[in-house]
Amino acid sequence: MLEVRGLTKVFPATRALDGLDLAFEKGEVHGVIGENGAGKSTLMKILSGIYEPTEGSVLLDGQEVRFRKPGDAMAKGIVMIHQELNLVDDLSVAENIFLGRERTAKGLLDRAAMREAAVELLKQVAAPFSPDTRLGDLSLAAKQLVEIAKAISYDARLIIMDEPTAVLSDRETSALFELIARLKERGVTVVYISHILSELTRVCDRITVMRDGRFVATLPKAEASPAWLARLMVGRELEDIYPPKTVPPAGDPVLTVKGLAVADWVEDVSLSLRKGEILGLAGLVGSGRTEAAEAIAGVRRRAAGTIERDGEVRRIRRVADGIRDRIAYVSEDRKGCGLVLAMDTEENITLANLRNYARPVIQRKRERAVVEDWVKQLNIRVGDVRSPVVNLSGGNQQKVAVAKWLDTKPEVLILDEPTRGIDVGSKQEIYALIHRLASEGLACLLISSEMQELIGLCHRIVVLREGRVMGELEGDEMTEEKIMYLAAGVEPEVAA
Amino acid sequence: MSVAVERKRMPRGLILQTYGALVALLILFIGNAIWQPDLFLQPENIRNLLNQNAAVGILAVGMTLVIISGGIDLSVGSMMALIAALALLTINKSMTGGGAESSAVGMGVLACIAAGIGLGFVNGLVITLGRIAPFIATLVGLVAFRSVALALAEGGEIRSASSNLFPAIGDGGIPLPFLEIAPNRPLVLTWNILLFIAIALLASFLLNRTRYGRHAIAVGANERAAIYSGINTNRVKVITYTLMGFCAAVAAIGESARMNAVSSAQLGLYYELDAIAAVVIGGTSMNGGRGRIWGTVVGVLILGIITNMLVVSGVSAYWQGFVKGVIILLAVLIQRGQSDR
Repeated sequence: MLEVRGLTKVFPATRALDGLDLAFEKGEVHGVIGENGAGKSTLMKILSGIYEPTEGSVLLDGQEVRFRKPGDAMAKGIVMIHQELNLVDDLSVAENIFLGRERTAKGLLDRAAMREAAVELLKQVAAPFSPDTRLGDLSLAAKQLVEIAKAISYDARLIIMDEPTAVLSDRETSALFELIARLKERGVTVVYISHILSELTRVCDRITVMRDGRFVATLPKAEASPAWLARLMVGRELEDIYPPKTVPPAGDPVLTVKGLAVADWVEDVSLSLRKGEILGLAGLVGSGRTEAAEAIAGVRRRAAGTIERDGEVRRIRRVADGIRDRIAYVSEDRKGCGLVLAMDTEENITLANLRNYARPVIQRKRERAVVEDWVKQLNIRVGDVRSPVVNLSGGNQQKVAVAKWLDTKPEVLILDEPTRGIDVGSKQEIYALIHRLASEGLACLLISSEMQELIGLCHRIVVLREGRVMGELEGDEMTEEKIMYLAAGVEPEVAA
Repeated sequence: MSVAVERKRMPRGLILQTYGALVALLILFIGNAIWQPDLFLQPENIRNLLNQNAAVGILAVGMTLVIISGGIDLSVGSMMALIAALALLTINKSMTGGGAESSAVGMGVLACIAAGIGLGFVNGLVITLGRIAPFIATLVGLVAFRSVALALAEGGEIRSASSNLFPAIGDGGIPLPFLEIAPNRPLVLTWNILLFIAIALLASFLLNRTRYGRHAIAVGANERAAIYSGINTNRVKVITYTLMGFCAAVAAIGESARMNAVSSAQLGLYYELDAIAAVVIGGTSMNGGRGRIWGTVVGVLILGIITNMLVVSGVSAYWQGFVKGVIILLAVLIQRGQSDR
């Protein structure tokens, strides 16, 4: 139903799309995958009317269409659900759905009609909440349902979902997939963008791989194995993406957490970590993983519990205390908390450790030398260390965030979802980096929603549920089933 | 992986945004030089231009730091009136008590600077510990400081009892022997101008070369990320408003010394708005996190030259505000063109 021919988009510095041909059929779930910079988001922005193509055409039902603004695409039933949802927290669900095209009667808002329509729409997406709920009180998964309901209200024929599961727990992901199946039955086409290969093979009918702004292949579900997709994306063979495990040296723990509690989130978490060890912290979204980690690093206030470094109880009440005690926390929210996007690579890398360069005047030369050393060591691909990090790809941004914390010379490194939203190539580099740091003696606490990642990298895994430690897995016990069992408290329904 | 490694050329929009104000200043400068060739380029005229705008300039430099760190300070114009009044009351009390002029003036200046730093510090505390938005917190100051100044002067003017030393701060300076405006009368570069230059250089240094400056930019650009990086954001803000208070004090001394009096209703009136306008024209982002001191200095000069032109060409004082308004609007429009992408 929707087709693009010879689509090209040229930006001042890059050719984001280079003669792309691609067709989406009615009522299919079509996955689109590619490394960062492959041109996926540019394609989606053209389809949803945010960008106009430099060359090439978009055909809807065989007829050429031109979208000059997002409204044009929506009028034709093409709706995009962005990763960062476009909703207003302070309005109700119903008000959000009809935002910008409120129904009126005699010049006044027709609240009753909108509410009624909203109830119907929410039923279609099986949303368990009322249209009167304030949006800000909903979970991310529920907000996503509101976005989808809103899309349906546009009589959407094609819905583009950009990394929809990035913020969802496994159970919420399954619910989303059921909803996608229902949309498909109604003849809606879903274009599904994701980095998670196992997810694509699970939900999509066909999967298109893009690389360097060009079409590589479209595979039917049956032929698309995660390994084959990864190979097509990168354009080279990927060896086992996890480095071989090494045995951490025995010794006393460098970090011991006892009875940690954080208001609303963490009830009772105790764990210990040795030099050179990679400890996984697993749990569903909302299990208190991030909150526990933030409390250890001093970002969040502790309600109870003690934190020991090398056997000594330390007072850690803010981030500066954590830095002093050589604990570094690389946030899961790269753009919101991890980096100052408007600042350049250099300023970001030294931000947490500026004391080291300012005495009291910042020694620019030394700063530059150290930053260039990090850029080389972590293979960060920056055109210019003085250009804002907002221009970097997700993988390179993540490396800048890691470099920033490594520069504080930590002995305990906490990595929260370090590979979320980054491409396979960068993932592999991050894995190798974690492995190298651990073998050099750094104690790592790794938080991840990707169980494969935890199993592939960690020596031990601690599983949280509702703010408590449910169990600890080691060696052969580390399987997706066992993690899921502990994390959800039930036998896993679906194993990816 | 195909990541562009070549150094990107600066896009045209960015050039306009970065250097637009400078280009505008050059055009104004050259335009005036052609329009009034005998007058404009006279060293004395340039000196007067700088001298008249030094107070607003000093405020604008402090305001640049405040705005870069994500805040705003509306209170500084009123603060100037209040602390200048305090300075003169201190001088007068000391002199009527029989004190020497020099020690009286010294105490007055110290009182002014201490009060400026103190009020700036209080502004910072109200904003951080009191968790009141900077706009509101300093709006309180705008109203309240002026009121106290009016009360101290009973609505009128406080004249300085110092007849030599204090006015000398206002019109004295360093004579430039190579620039004679009349035989054996060298041009004097006033203390006000020198202080403006010194404070601009100091602020530029603080912003670009110290930990405080880097932290202020980070706080303005992304406060959460700053907190996650271990930056004490409250401390950064308090320091910023305190520096702003210090700038207000320096401006207040210069302004009251120039008149050798303080008009409680007039001194510093609307200066905070002129300062903010200069910051905006200079290309500093009102959203914080991005800005430059030299841009602000350029902004001050642009506003000053335009006012000067309006006066020379006999435009009614009533219309001058309108023209300024249009200039500010244009400056913002030009700069927005690029960050809108």
